[in-house]
Amino acid sequence: MLDLIVIGAGLSGMLAAHTAARAGARVAIVSKGLGALHWSAGTIDALGYFPDEKTPVSSPLAALPMLAPNHPYTLCDAPAAWREFAALTHACGLPYAGANADANLWLPSPAGAARPTWLAPRAQLAGDLARAEPMLIVGVRGMRDFFPELIAENLRKQNHAARAAFVPLEVITARHDSNSVQLAHALDDPARQLKLARELKKIVQRGERIGLPAILGLDNHPNAFQTLEAETGAAIFEIPTLPPSVPGIRLNDALRRELHRLGVRVDVNMDVRGFHADGARIAFVESETSGQPLKHRAEKFLLATGGILGGGIQSDPTGKTWEAVFDLPLTIAPNRGDWFRARFFDPAGHPIFRGGVAVNRVFQPVNAHGAPVYANLWAAGGVLAHADPILERSLEGVAIATGVAAGKFASQA
Amino acid sequence: MPKIETDLLVIGGGATGVGVAWDAALRGFRTVLVEKRDLTHGTTGRYHGLLHSGGRYVVKDPHSAEECIRENRILRKTHAHCIEDTGGFFVVTPEDVNAYPDQFQAACKNLGIPCEEISLRAALQREPLMNPRAARVFVVPDGAADSFQATHSTAQAAQIAGAQILNYHEVVALIPAEGDPARVVGARVRDVARGEDVEIRAALTINAAGAWAGVIARTAGVTVNVIPGKGTMLAANHRLINTVLNRCKMPDDGDIIVPIHTVTVIGTTDEKVQDPEHLTIEPWEVELLLREGDKLIPGISQARFVRAWAGVRPLYQEHYAGASRDATRDFVVLDHAARDGVAGLLTIIGGKWTTFRLMAEKTVDKACEQLGARKPCSTAETPVPGVEHGHYWLGHRLREVEQNHLQSELVCECELVTRAMLENAARNNPTLTLDDLRRDVRLGMGPCQGGFCTYRAAGILHELQVQNSQSKIQDPNTWHVADLQSPARNAKLEIGNWKLGVGTPNLLLRDFLQERWKGLLPILWGRQLKQERLDELIYLALMNADHLPDEDAVSPMSDFYSRRGISTTADTEARDA
Repeated sequence: MLDLIVIGAGLSGMLAAHTAARAGARVAIVSKGLGALHWSAGTIDALGYFPDEKTPVSSPLAALPMLAPNHPYTLCDAPAAWREFAALTHACGLPYAGANADANLWLPSPAGAARPTWLAPRAQLAGDLARAEPMLIVGVRGMRDFFPELIAENLRKQNHAARAAFVPLEVITARHDSNSVQLAHALDDPARQLKLARELKKIVQRGERIGLPAILGLDNHPNAFQTLEAETGAAIFEIPTLPPSVPGIRLNDALRRELHRLGVRVDVNMDVRGFHADGARIAFVESETSGQPLKHRAEKFLLATGGILGGGIQSDPTGKTWEAVFDLPLTIAPNRGDWFRARFFDPAGHPIFRGGVAVNRVFQPVNAHGAPVYANLWAAGGVLAHADPILERSLEGVAIATGVAAGKFASQA
Repeated sequence: MPKIETDLLVIGGGATGVGVAWDAALRGFRTVLVEKRDLTHGTTGRYHGLLHSGGRYVVKDPHSAEECIRENRILRKTHAHCIEDTGGFFVVTPEDVNAYPDQFQAACKNLGIPCEEISLRAALQREPLMNPRAARVFVVPDGAADSFQATHSTAQAAQIAGAQILNYHEVVALIPAEGDPARVVGARVRDVARGEDVEIRAALTINAAGAWAGVIARTAGVTVNVIPGKGTMLAANHRLINTVLNRCKMPDDGDIIVPIHTVTVIGTTDEKVQDPEHLTIEPWEVELLLREGDKLIPGISQARFVRAWAGVRPLYQEHYAGASRDATRDFVVLDHAARDGVAGLLTIIGGKWTTFRLMAEKTVDKACEQLGARKPCSTAETPVPGVEHGHYWLGHRLREVEQNHLQSELVCECELVTRAMLENAARNNPTLTLDDLRRDVRLGMGPCQGGFCTYRAAGILHELQVQNSQSKIQDPNTWHVADLQSPARNAKLEIGNWKLGVGTPNLLLRDFLQERWKGLLPILWGRQLKQERLDELIYLALMNADHLPDEDAVSPMSDFYSRRGISTTADTEARDA
C-alpha cells in the first residue's frame, strides 16, 4: 500500500511528491498530463507585482509579510522552500540561481519587456538587466516564435544597450518546420553547436553578451551552453520563447529523473475522474481507462491538479464551477458577470482567477466553516484559492512553496 | 488643410458605401469614399454571413424576399469567390408545427424562390447534427458570404474604375455652401493616421454610414431617425453543419445557424439600442441564443464557443416607433432636398448585406437624377476581381498549405494564415492595426483568439518597419485582392520599399489582445476559459506584455484606453464584435 498518491505532475505535484519521498513515504504520482512547465519561461517567479499596483516588487522576501493574510505564501515558509528547490536543481545538474542580493532578477522577455523572476537557470542568468554589457539579440531567420528586432528595440526604449542580428536556420537544421523543441534537439549535436558558435563569432562585437532563443539543447544542454560560451568568448543567455518551452521541459525532465531516483512512480495519461470515500477518509481515486475505471489506493492523497489552466477547476455557461476530482468547495463567485474585468491587462486581474480551494494551516482543503473536508487529503499549487499566480508572477514560486509544505504536512500526518 | 475636389463623396466603408463607390465609378463619376476606421469595421464586418435566398422574409416581407433572391443570383456571379455555396434548410422543428410551413412553401413558389421539400432522412444524411425530431425540411439557395472579402473585392473594383478609397478618414462635419446653409458641398474629414483634417468638396454627398447615418446627417441639421437594431451572434469553434439552418417560422431571435469558414454562427437577437458605438452583450442574449440554437442542433449549447459579437442593423422606417424586430428590412434613398430642403445630400439607409448592390444601384440612380446625368448601372453584369476563382470552400486553405508545403510558414495555425499572406495584406491594404489584418486574412479568429499569432504578427510587422522606410503608393492594378486569403497565391513575397502605417508593435499587441478580449468576455467558460488562461500565461507571465514601453500611449484602436477612459465591464463588451 502506498502512503501517498499525488494527483498532478506539474511543479507543485512533483515538489510535493519529492518532499514526501525524501521524508521516507512511499509515493506515486498519477496525472492526466504534464504541468504548466511546458508553457512557461522555465524560471521560478516568486512575486513580481502586487495586484492593483503597477509598482513592481523589488524583493519578494521583503514583500511576503505584506500579502493578504489568506495568501498561500502566508501559510508556509516560502523562502525555505525556494532554497530547498535551488539545492535540488544543483543536485540534479540544472542549477538555478537568483540575484546576489535578496532582490528579484530582471530578465528580458520574448517581447523585450523586463520580467521579474526569483531564480533562473544558469543559461538565462547573463540576461540580467542590472548588468551593463550591451546585448546582441540573435534570432534564427525562419524561426517563427522569436523576434530579435522587437526585443532589442524594447530593451533600448528601457535604456539597455541592445542590437539585433540573425543567423540562418540552416546553421541548425535543414528542416523548415521546426519548433523550439525540435531546434533544441538539433542543438544537442556537438557539430551543430560548433557551427552555431562560428556564426555567432562572426557577428558578436567585443564586450557584447549574446541573447539567443531558448533552444540551446535539451539532453546535451550543458555542453551546448559551454561550447557556445567557450567558442564565442562571450557571455551567452537564453530568452524564453512561445510555448513549447525548452527551459521548462529541461526542468521537468530533471525533476522527473530525481523522482525516479527516489523511487516515485509517475503515471501520466491517467485522468483521475472519480473517488470513493469511507466517511471522512478517501479510500481510493479512479482514473479513466478504455475499460472500467482503475482504482488507485493509498493512505493519503494530495491534490495538485492546477487551477483553470491545469484543468483542476472546471466551469460551465451557467456560472457553475467545480473542483474536478473531489468536488471540493470553491471560493469562486457563482455569477459569470463577476468573473472578469473590462480590460484584458487590468492591473487588478480577473477575480475568477483568484478563486480556488481554501486550505487550513496544514494545507488540508476546508469547507466554509474552516473544517477539513477529508481527513486524508491535502492540496497544493494552482488549485489553491486567494492568489492569482499568473498576475502576481508567482506561478512557480507558489507551486514550489505550497508543494513542499503540503508534501511535508501530508507525510508527517 | 489639404483639399480634394470630386463629383461624389461617399461616407461609409461598409458594403453599401463601397457598393455605391463601385457603381458610381463604373458610371464615370469622380468618386471619393471615406470610412472612419477600416473597411467593414461597422455592421458589414459584424454580421453572421448569411447570403439570403429570401426565404426568411417570404411571408413577412415579400418585397424584401424578392430583392434577396434576385440579388442572391447576381452576387453568385459578380462575387462568386466571396460565397460558399452551402445551400440552406428551413426546418420545421416540433414547436414550429402550424400553418406557417404551408404559407412559406406557397410564398416561395409565388416569388420564384426555389424551395424543395426533402425527407427528414435525406436532410439528416446531409446534416446529421440537425434536430432529428424535425417535422419537415425545405431546401433553398441560401449561402454563406464572406463580407470582408466581398467588400475588399468591391473596393478594388471601385479603385480600378477610378474611385479613391480613404479609410481611417472620419467625417468631422458636412460643409454647408457659403451663403447657402441649405446646400451641402462636401465634408471636412479627419485623417486619423496623420492627425490632420482634409476638406473634400463634392457636387453630391452620399451618406451611407449605416447605423451612424443619423449622426452624419445631424451635422447638416437634418434628422434621420435610424432604428439601431442590435443583433448578437455567437461563434462555435467548429463547423458543426455545412448547410445554413433556418427555423421555418416568422423571423425571431436565435433562429439562424450559419456555417462560415471554420466556425458555426448562431444568430441573432434584435434589440433596439440608443447608440451604435455602445453595444453591451447581455447574459440573457447568450442564454437565449444557446437555448434557441439547441432547437435546431440539439446540444450546440454544449459546444465550445470562441466569440460573441454584436452588429447594429441600420433599420429605417419613417415615423416608426415599434420593436426593431418588426421594423422593415427594406431600404430607402432619402433625397434631403425634397424631404428637408437641404440640397447636395442623399442618405441610403436600411436594407441588408444581400441587397447591398441593389441599394447602391438605386442610390446612384438618384444621384444621376440630381446631377442631371444619364448613365446606366452596370454592376449586375460586372464581376469584381477574384471572381475567376469560383466559390470558396472550407478546405481551400488547408489544401493550398499542404500542396505547397507551407506548414512552416504559418503565423496563425488556427486559421492557416501564412507569413506571406500577412505581409502582403499589410503592404497592399491600408493597415493600422492587427484588427485590420484580422479582417483581411482572418488572423486571430480561431480557438486561441490571438494567443499565439498576436505576438508573431506584431513581431513580423515590426521587422517590416525596421527593414523598410520608403513608401509605396498602393496600386490596385498590380495587386489582386482575391489573393488576400490564399496561402498558395501568397507563396512569394514581393521585394520593395514601402512603409507601414502601423503604430509601435507594443500598441499593436496590446490593442489586438484587448479587441479579442471584448469578444471573449461573454462566452468564457469551460475549455475556452482554459484557453484564455493560457493566453494570460503567455502575455503576462512569459512576455510581461502589460509592462512594455508605451503601454499607455494612444493608437487608432485605443479609444478604450485613452479617449473614453476605463469604465465598467458592461461598457466594454460594448464596443465589440
